[in-house]
Amino acid sequence: MKVKIIISLFFLILATILNGQTGSISGSITDANGSPLVGANILIEGTIIGTVSDKNGMFELSGLKSGTYILEASMVGYKKNISDPIIISGNNIILNITLTEKILQYDQVVISAGKHKQNLSELPVSTSVINSNRISKKNIVKIDEILRYTPGVNVALDQVSIRGSSGFSRGAGTRVLMTLDGLPLSTGDTGELVWEMIPVTDVERIEVIKGSSSALYGSAAIGGVVNIISKNITSKPITLVKSYFGVYDNPAHDEWKWNNSYRTFNGITASHSNTFGDFGISLSLTRTEDLSYKRNNDLKRYSGFLKSTYKINDFSKLSFIAAGYSHDRGNFNFWKNSRQALEPPDLDLGARVKSDRIISGLIYESIISKVFSYNVKLSLYNNYWKEILGSENSSRSELYRAEVQTNFSVSDNLLIIGGLESSISQVSSTIFGSPDANTFGLYAQAENKFTKKLTLTAGLRFDYSKINQLDAVNSFSPKLGANYKINEKTILRAFAGTGFRAPTLAETYTSTNASGLIIRPNLELDPENNYTLEAGIIHLFFDKINFDAAIFHSEYFDLVEPTLTSDGDSRFIQFRNVTRARIQGIDISTGFELESIGTSFKFSYSYLWARDIENKIALKYRPRNTIYAEAEYTLGSFNLGTDVRYLSKVEEVDRELIENDFVIDGDKRVDVFVIDLHAGFSFFNFNIPANLNLNIYNLLNYNYVEVIGNISPIRNISLNLELLF
Amino acid sequence: MYLKLLVISVIIFSACGKGIEPEPEKTEVGFSGTITFIGEWDENITSTNIVLFKNEIKSAADFDFINIKYASEVIPFGAKSYSYNTSKNQPVLNSIEAGDFAYLAVAQTTETEIQLVRSAWVVAGVYNSESDSSEFGKLTIPEGEFLSDINIVCDFNNPPPQPPGGK
Repeated sequence: MKVKIIISLFFLILATILNGQTGSISGSITDANGSPLVGANILIEGTIIGTVSDKNGMFELSGLKSGTYILEASMVGYKKNISDPIIISGNNIILNITLTEKILQYDQVVISAGKHKQNLSELPVSTSVINSNRISKKNIVKIDEILRYTPGVNVALDQVSIRGSSGFSRGAGTRVLMTLDGLPLSTGDTGELVWEMIPVTDVERIEVIKGSSSALYGSAAIGGVVNIISKNITSKPITLVKSYFGVYDNPAHDEWKWNNSYRTFNGITASHSNTFGDFGISLSLTRTEDLSYKRNNDLKRYSGFLKSTYKINDFSKLSFIAAGYSHDRGNFNFWKNSRQALEPPDLDLGARVKSDRIISGLIYESIISKVFSYNVKLSLYNNYWKEILGSENSSRSELYRAEVQTNFSVSDNLLIIGGLESSISQVSSTIFGSPDANTFGLYAQAENKFTKKLTLTAGLRFDYSKINQLDAVNSFSPKLGANYKINEKTILRAFAGTGFRAPTLAETYTSTNASGLIIRPNLELDPENNYTLEAGIIHLFFDKINFDAAIFHSEYFDLVEPTLTSDGDSRFIQFRNVTRARIQGIDISTGFELESIGTSFKFSYSYLWARDIENKIALKYRPRNTIYAEAEYTLGSFNLGTDVRYLSKVEEVDRELIENDFVIDGDKRVDVFVIDLHAGFSFFNFNIPANLNLNIYNLLNYNYVEVIGNISPIRNISLNLELLF
Repeated sequence: MYLKLLVISVIIFSACGKGIEPEPEKTEVGFSGTITFIGEWDENITSTNIVLFKNEIKSAADFDFINIKYASEVIPFGAKSYSYNTSKNQPVLNSIEAGDFAYLAVAQTTETEIQLVRSAWVVAGVYNSESDSSEFGKLTIPEGEFLSDINIVCDFNNPPPQPPGGK
């Protein structure tokens, strides 16, 4: 050991003498079979210097000043590789790195749970990670689609609920926060999440934090967080072209046919990534078209994504991110009736929505020393939408946001994170009026490794929120978490936290007449609050089988729900604090790989008991039982997989809309049971950088609804091709 | 082996049914008749419609989309007689199902912009069952039946009693 230190010191002194010269580290990244890995991340420890491997699995880090470097190579689904110290003194080092697939998935690095890098196995709270490979194989075109296959997550149309936090409120207020590289993506008016904002080809992974996360993320994270991590920019030019074409099958019932031709969908994405000296850029453009299996539900969208980085020096970096789209889609709310289930009521024919949305953000990251670093995030979300025919509503909003976060490593065992964030939202709308909203948050978190086995986390956040001239609301959200590693195979975790959600402008100010329903503002809305308790265990059976189980309990106060009410003169819908709710449940997930026969299997089960405890009924749109299973088989360049999704029939829905004949036959709902198949072939082993995937969604053409009167996608088949240049 | 398993699984799952199915076809229900107008039309009238209410109009709140099950197309201004048929004309709203309906009337408004507010409308005529005069305004449509001769007389010189919530 001493000899190593002396040798290292010798080279360090030598490196100092030779300071001024630059060198490079380059090489290849392959998997255990020797196949090149595209898109693996390579980072120099303690700096912001990094790159990703190109289409041949090659990488290069150039312009390195003389010194000693430690290289981290990582990729989702593979064990992280940390190199021995590498000494650069004007020379070029060539490294061939092999990444082996993880057996224990919990070794994966995540950054969302504690706002810093942590292993999944070190977290006190349940977290799932979805990698880009999975998105690509399944020809996922919208991020909420892949969340449907995530344990503990339920999606109703495009509204995501984590562990039963949300029902369905047509996007007006969400209890899940979505972020892109840490930049919140809730709109300034409705606070809704627009999943189309991020092209899936630019996603490296998605981290899903389950349970109240307000102690770090504030309002809207009351049910959890979905953080989308974008791909890193490559050091060498890579161009990706991905296109897909699909067709919907005929409906299962002849009565549902409303068109004699097959309905198709297609899309094409072209993206390019490259680095020029200290400047890196990645740009992608996407065109999407879907004729839809439902009448008046067609869609045409153009979207773009830009990420650029500028390396100021080895310890600081500036990134600019912009994502946006323009789309025109039919507005299908409910079916006409169950005999014309794929057609809207006559009054809604021709109703459309046009939207233009763009978020742009600036992120500055700086490592001041080994113990202190900080980052600054600024963003602006421009949002415009307009309804054509229908209610003719339109809304324009700008959401300005700023956050400063500091990371202070007090010692090897104690990390303190602190930050403050603020936002200003300005709205001009026919439906919400022209209110402004301001928020301010201040947070701190301490994470202490008391022993090699025990890590405790404590955090507290203060939030202040004010809408227009209404009284300001504020809240303190504390949290406590523990992670205890019994041994290498068994880890326990526990979490207690509180959540807070200020009413959105939409919930407070909506004033419209939609499909005959009058919606009125409610200036008396109070914020929602909750607290969550969770305990979980991770265990590795027989060195092969991952097992994760969690039990959770949440109490919600002043839950805001759209409510049909009357003032004597007229009946109307208004958002009200109506519900005191209790949500309890368990999540179990397991998986294993049989590498010898190229097979992997994953299974998860969630039980959810979500009750309105004042009215003693189930909360709307929360399935009690959810099962998700996945099997994958790989043989050389060929892969075959299937996904099975089961959700028990939801007990409660928007009963008022059914009883008052707004949704004819609206009570028709069933268990959800969907089987998907996908098969793919990789041409990489034939020196052709291309992948071809075939997908069959809803193989059995099973008909179900996630929201009353709205049939989910019928069987469809699609082919997608990815080409790298 | 795996292929066999897959095939067996698909066969098993195929037996689970197709999920939501359409309701069996129902014979169309509805009604038709003639509206007769007596007297001079108020020249300020902008819209005249036949309107069917599910429940009794007890307050202005009952004059809304939830309670209205049928609203006809606009009856031409100045008409002396107008024949209608709920299945043939182009109604503003039609969600008629078999059952009892508390009130069938002809309503008129002078507003330039159509509003679903009780105070904006005046009742010009009400359906009156010839067989039972106590069933003022009430209409019963049996399952699977299409009623005819649901006639209404609008006497502008002798308007019917107005339900609550009007001007």
